[in-house]
Amino acid sequence: MNTAISTFLMIVLSGIRAHKILWVLIAGFGLFPLFTHLADLPFWNDLAMRIMLLSIAAIGLNLVLGYGGMVSFGHAAFIGIGAYCVGISQHYGLMNGWLHILFSLSACSAIGLVIGILALRTSGIYFIMITLGFAQMLFFLFVSLEGFGGDDGMSIDRAEFGFIDLYEPLRLYFLIWVVFVCVGLMMMVIVRSRFGVTLQAIKSNETRIEAMGLVPLHYKLASYLISAMICGVAGTLFANWQEYVSPDIMHWTRSGELMIIIILGGLGTLVGPVLGAIAFLLLEEFLPLLLEVIWPAYAENWMIIFGPLLVLVVLFGRGGLVGLAQRAMARVNRSFNSGERP
Amino acid sequence: MTFTLILEQIFNGLQAGVTLFLVAAGLTLILGVMNFVFLAHGAQVMIGAYAAAAITNATGQFFLGILLAVPVTFASGYLLEILIIRHLYRRDHMEQVLATFGLILFFNEAIRIGFGPAALFSDLPPSLSGFVEILPDVPYPAFRLWVIVVGLCCALAIGLFVSRTRTGAMLRAGAENPEMAAALGVNIKMLFRLIFAAGACLAGVAGMMIGPLTAVQSGMGEPLLILSLVVIIIGGIGSVRGAFIAAIIVGLVDTVGRVFLPSLLRLFFDQATADGAGPALASMLVYILMAVILIFRPTGLFPAKGRG
Amino acid sequence: MTVPVLELDGISKSFGTLAASTDVSLSVMSGEIHALIGPNGAGKTTLIQQIYGALVPDSGSVILNGEQITSLSVPARVRKGIGRSFQISNVLMDFTVFENAIIAEQARQRNSFNFIQPAFEDASLREGAEIILNRVGLLARAHQQTRALAHGERRMLELALALAVSPSLLLLDEPMAGAGMEESQQMTQIIDQLRSKMAILLIEHDMDAVFRLADRISVLVEGRIIAVGTPDEISQNQEVKTAYLGEDS
Repeated sequence: MNTAISTFLMIVLSGIRAHKILWVLIAGFGLFPLFTHLADLPFWNDLAMRIMLLSIAAIGLNLVLGYGGMVSFGHAAFIGIGAYCVGISQHYGLMNGWLHILFSLSACSAIGLVIGILALRTSGIYFIMITLGFAQMLFFLFVSLEGFGGDDGMSIDRAEFGFIDLYEPLRLYFLIWVVFVCVGLMMMVIVRSRFGVTLQAIKSNETRIEAMGLVPLHYKLASYLISAMICGVAGTLFANWQEYVSPDIMHWTRSGELMIIIILGGLGTLVGPVLGAIAFLLLEEFLPLLLEVIWPAYAENWMIIFGPLLVLVVLFGRGGLVGLAQRAMARVNRSFNSGERP
Repeated sequence: MTFTLILEQIFNGLQAGVTLFLVAAGLTLILGVMNFVFLAHGAQVMIGAYAAAAITNATGQFFLGILLAVPVTFASGYLLEILIIRHLYRRDHMEQVLATFGLILFFNEAIRIGFGPAALFSDLPPSLSGFVEILPDVPYPAFRLWVIVVGLCCALAIGLFVSRTRTGAMLRAGAENPEMAAALGVNIKMLFRLIFAAGACLAGVAGMMIGPLTAVQSGMGEPLLILSLVVIIIGGIGSVRGAFIAAIIVGLVDTVGRVFLPSLLRLFFDQATADGAGPALASMLVYILMAVILIFRPTGLFPAKGRG
Repeated sequence: MTVPVLELDGISKSFGTLAASTDVSLSVMSGEIHALIGPNGAGKTTLIQQIYGALVPDSGSVILNGEQITSLSVPARVRKGIGRSFQISNVLMDFTVFENAIIAEQARQRNSFNFIQPAFEDASLREGAEIILNRVGLLARAHQQTRALAHGERRMLELALALAVSPSLLLLDEPMAGAGMEESQQMTQIIDQLRSKMAILLIEHDMDAVFRLADRISVLVEGRIIAVGTPDEISQNQEVKTAYLGEDS
């Protein structure tokens, strides 16, 4: 038992060493409330919570998108299911937050299993469209459930997590942060594990993996389920944060935004989704403000910059922010080395 | 449950179906031949609707508006391909999603800046604002009938073009095996450009048709886009014939289903269940249909690349 | 009479009106290199695909070590002991040579569905990977990105990965495709030495290699086996000469 724990700790520690930036960021989020308290800027805690929630969902999707190479356009549906698990439970008087999370995990894995089995028989454009189709189906389902708010959505009380009162300041913040840490740890271990390596190998050449005697579908399906559950938990926490849930949370454009975040940050890296979430939400917060200053007449049309920005990122920015950082580091190294030549 | 009502809904379904076909036809070729995930196809619908409405409002002539808007949408697709789209063919699907998503945001916002967020005034032409008796004592809106006719004529023209002309043959070859088609000397660059522009044009025509029926505003194309993706999945990527058949099916199921499903459910279940589940099931009907078809035909009914 | 490792019994497959395989029967024994030759379009790859499991024959059976495998999937057949090298290399381009071997070793150990154990740092996997690469002399290039490998080296890696599953039947689909003189000779030597450990079905156009390596040759023309025999017998068979080898042989 002891050796099992110590091996596991060794695995975790070596992982943390290999992904320093990710853990610096996560630690940063942990210390952030201290900073906002001292600077008396409590609003920023709210933004930080949103970024963490988005990061959790993005990390989840990144498993299938970045590491698995499966372009799933329907993951916002799982976020929505997780959120509605809270709303629907509360509708029936179930206020226990742990129960909500349990429901969320069960629902997302069950629905993820059905969609996964049907969709993973295809690939490429078919897969993209089919996942989109199923997500739309769920969207319309919730729109038409008048009993649970339908189009208008339903308001939510923060759940009861036993001894933790989420209405006390910063309780929800740290609950989200702990989940963030756990999901980060989990993803870090999985990605370096035999399963994770096999998944990435399937992305690289599925034919060869079959020729090694493995069934690619098993790995793809497992990763799809894991990512669905992670997104579900993100949704459950999001419902607690927003104290409201509506079908908008699972609109197909939400799925698109999630993909944008991952690609923006760096596909198939651990820290990419987090960087992407930070960049995305900061842009969303400050681009309108920027426009107010330079072109106030069109301040509310800030999206018009965002659109072409995405196109430019695709055309010229390979590897997202992580790729950018790596290229910058390479350039720094090169000039460093050339400077050493006599 | 009168005969008139049923007939009216069937015709509405046909009208929805041909509209979907106009959007799906171009998209299935873009997806199938060019292997390009073009999410911004809904924007082409919007551009068409706005072009027609703007010209109509400026000149007071509905049909002139449509006539002039057609080359406008063709040109917009052509330009888009040259400026941006052709640089993205070699990118993987994720990047294409990202870029075309950005295009959606851009176009929706640009329209909002140009025409404001409120819907644009787009009225029926007087010649088509009355009713036509499709059967004795069965009146049907003239405009919707006109849409059906226009849609079917377009479908026929496209069908003949694809099956009877050289370019059409190149198209079909490209859908089945793009590399081989290129190796056989087909000018792929020009073919892609024309497919794209033609697809944009058709989507624009769809927009012009539905403009007077729904609202001409920013983002109007996206719901049509999503539904046409379902059409393409059902019909088979790369197949125009599949797109037509699937579009009619989806149009009918969506329209007729929404109206009659609650009543149908009441035959089997009690009032409360039927009224509760009815609308929910009706809106999901098309997607349930898609899921069922996928169980038996993972690549759609008429996939261009053949099955397996 | 020992059981052949591979036995094909009346394999037939048509695509519409095109008969790709017609009543093909052949056997490969352990310790034998059995070459499959034939003009382009004869249906060699289609036949290999049916042995491998990527295609299902319309009729006939595929029997491996006495066991019917005709209805098994590709991964299932691989686990029963079929190794395959492809005509166009199917190596994992996004990994290093060593990582390719580790992944193969991990699959061989049937331990890939583990969510916790790191893969690339594992000692037993690394050991197994070294063995895999040593078989084809690629250990020196272990830390190269597969993308950066020369063509011949990539074909070697392809062979190594095929061998990694410890097959009793090895399907070699044009292993020397595009390889230079020296590389072909290297590969011929390696394949020669594999003979004693397994049954080998070899598709190859390089006639020098075929005649040097093959114990028996089957000639496939338009989906049918028109001759089976030793290299001497085949080189003197008139029907084969006209169908395939041309005047000089």
